[in-house]
Amino acid sequence: MKQVAGLISTYSSDEFGICSALYELGGMVVMHDASGCNSTYTTHDEPRWYDMESMIYISAISEMEAIMGDDDKLIHDVIETAQQMKPKFIALVGAPIPYMIGTDLKAIAAVIEEETGIPSFGLEANGMNGYLSGISMAFDAIVDRFCKKEVLKSTQTKVNILGATPLDFSLNGSIDSIRRWIKNIGMQTGACFAMGSSLEELSKAGKAQVNLVISYGAMEIAKKMEEEFDIPYVVGVPVGKLFAATVEHCLKESLETGKSQVVCQKYKADIRSEKKAAIIGESVYATSLAGEIEQQYGISCEVLCPLETEEMILRSMDKQTPEEDDLMEALEGMDIVIADPLYKPLCPKKASFYPLGHIAFSGRIYENKIPDLIDREFEETGGLR
Amino acid sequence: MIKIAVYGKGGIGKSTTVSNLSAALAQKGKKVLQIGCDPKADSTISLRHGKELSTVLDTIRKKKDNFTLDDVMCIGYQGVACVEAGGPIPGLGCAGRGIITALEKLEKKGIYDVVKPDIVFYDVLGDVVCGGFSMPMRSGYADLVYIITSGENMSIHAAANIAMAIDNFKGRGYAKLGGIILNHKNVKSERAKVEELCEDIHSQIVGELSFSETVQDAEPMKKTVIEAFGTSKMAEEYRKLADKILSRQG
Repeated sequence: MKQVAGLISTYSSDEFGICSALYELGGMVVMHDASGCNSTYTTHDEPRWYDMESMIYISAISEMEAIMGDDDKLIHDVIETAQQMKPKFIALVGAPIPYMIGTDLKAIAAVIEEETGIPSFGLEANGMNGYLSGISMAFDAIVDRFCKKEVLKSTQTKVNILGATPLDFSLNGSIDSIRRWIKNIGMQTGACFAMGSSLEELSKAGKAQVNLVISYGAMEIAKKMEEEFDIPYVVGVPVGKLFAATVEHCLKESLETGKSQVVCQKYKADIRSEKKAAIIGESVYATSLAGEIEQQYGISCEVLCPLETEEMILRSMDKQTPEEDDLMEALEGMDIVIADPLYKPLCPKKASFYPLGHIAFSGRIYENKIPDLIDREFEETGGLR
Repeated sequence: MIKIAVYGKGGIGKSTTVSNLSAALAQKGKKVLQIGCDPKADSTISLRHGKELSTVLDTIRKKKDNFTLDDVMCIGYQGVACVEAGGPIPGLGCAGRGIITALEKLEKKGIYDVVKPDIVFYDVLGDVVCGGFSMPMRSGYADLVYIITSGENMSIHAAANIAMAIDNFKGRGYAKLGGIILNHKNVKSERAKVEELCEDIHSQIVGELSFSETVQDAEPMKKTVIEAFGTSKMAEEYRKLADKILSRQG
């Protein structure tokens, strides 16, 4: 059956992708949704919720407000709260109800900005698309409103990290590991979109010489920054030792040539095993992991991507598998399956299943079992064995 | 590029008027794009001589995003690019949301870059009954809204509602009210009633169209008056109105 998930979970929505991407930036993020809908985000999808403050709000739109198209209450509530909280920006986030009644969040944001003087934008999420499109919308708005083309580049080689959210990387230290790895290869981390960097740091992203895209959610801003700021991008996560070395090589090559590249299209696989492995997940991370496994263990790896992505990121053998049925078919004959534990019901009986938790899919259930694989031999991690 | 949305009560003659304006402007060498924003999908029928045209929403339903502009657009009389937004299955779904989706999809498919129109007409269903039907007047779409009305009370009420919607949206960067087009139905004190409306909504009559059998004669021919009876008095009225609208846009 198409568009039915009978055995598996579903991914986090675009609404929550936006919240996750903007969480640390000091802005006021307002989901224009019925009260209660935000608890899925706060309870399941946002591991920072209890330890880090953020101005995430819900408008609690009521049935009659939706029927009558009463935008004034939203405008009034947001202005009143913003005047108290003094956020650095205001993001109005769409949801199924405003989507269906055609609420013009961009126009409402313009009214709020006029009244408060605080940069405001409307993000047209609808709760029916995946989290990556939400991350993409949020980052795009930040680049549009706050980042400028810097004429003076940094004197040291700076790399922006694009696509960091707990939805893809949890809070297991992976992003810190990427920062350390960048330092170890003789470069500096510029802005990190958007974990561990302030809005002010993000606004200076134009100073960097190269962008490292670690999730498909950042692909659009990577392309935008290439076009508008002349910053080339490299797509890949430095997982494992051998793939991290390939990412390093690509970063240095792009710095020299000014050309963008996708790392998983660049490494040489050394297939020594007859076994076949499948990795299910976000395309940039999964193809990077596949690259490490093929180089390190000689096992052929096929990426099955249920999420938004594009052809240039996937290798020839990889597949987009948006439906549960597609996944089940693609998994037939696999010896090894690496995926979030909630995918286990789809795993063929004879195949070995290696759990790799993904917050965007299973929330915080397996939060403590997501290994930091950055620049490490997998044996060290205690995760993939 | 000039972008104009035309609103008015159902049956008042919006599609007929807009199609004749499109034809008149195309005859003058202008590149015109006419987008019907009505689930009935008959806005451009006289420009395309009744030729079938798949609506944007029907096409999305069948092909999802795997379609090109050629699948939803045809070139009609004098090169006018014709598109129909369409709507959901009658009695189901949400027509207003459909208009939003259709217009957003056309923009994403690059219709304005591909057609490179001098003038875009959005021919919008009767009244601004919900958020979706305000889409053509939102930022990035029409710059000016013209309302067509006769002296009939229901038509005047609809026009007043549309004007109120435009007024409600001031401050949002939406289209402004360009004026009223009086489409005569020969009712008693017609002009006076429409002038009173204009006074109430702080607008003015920018053009008048006579009640004419020529319009009815052109309809079964599936042609505009401009094409079918190009030398008629009625065709001249449409041309005059087209010139007026063009001049008001600067």
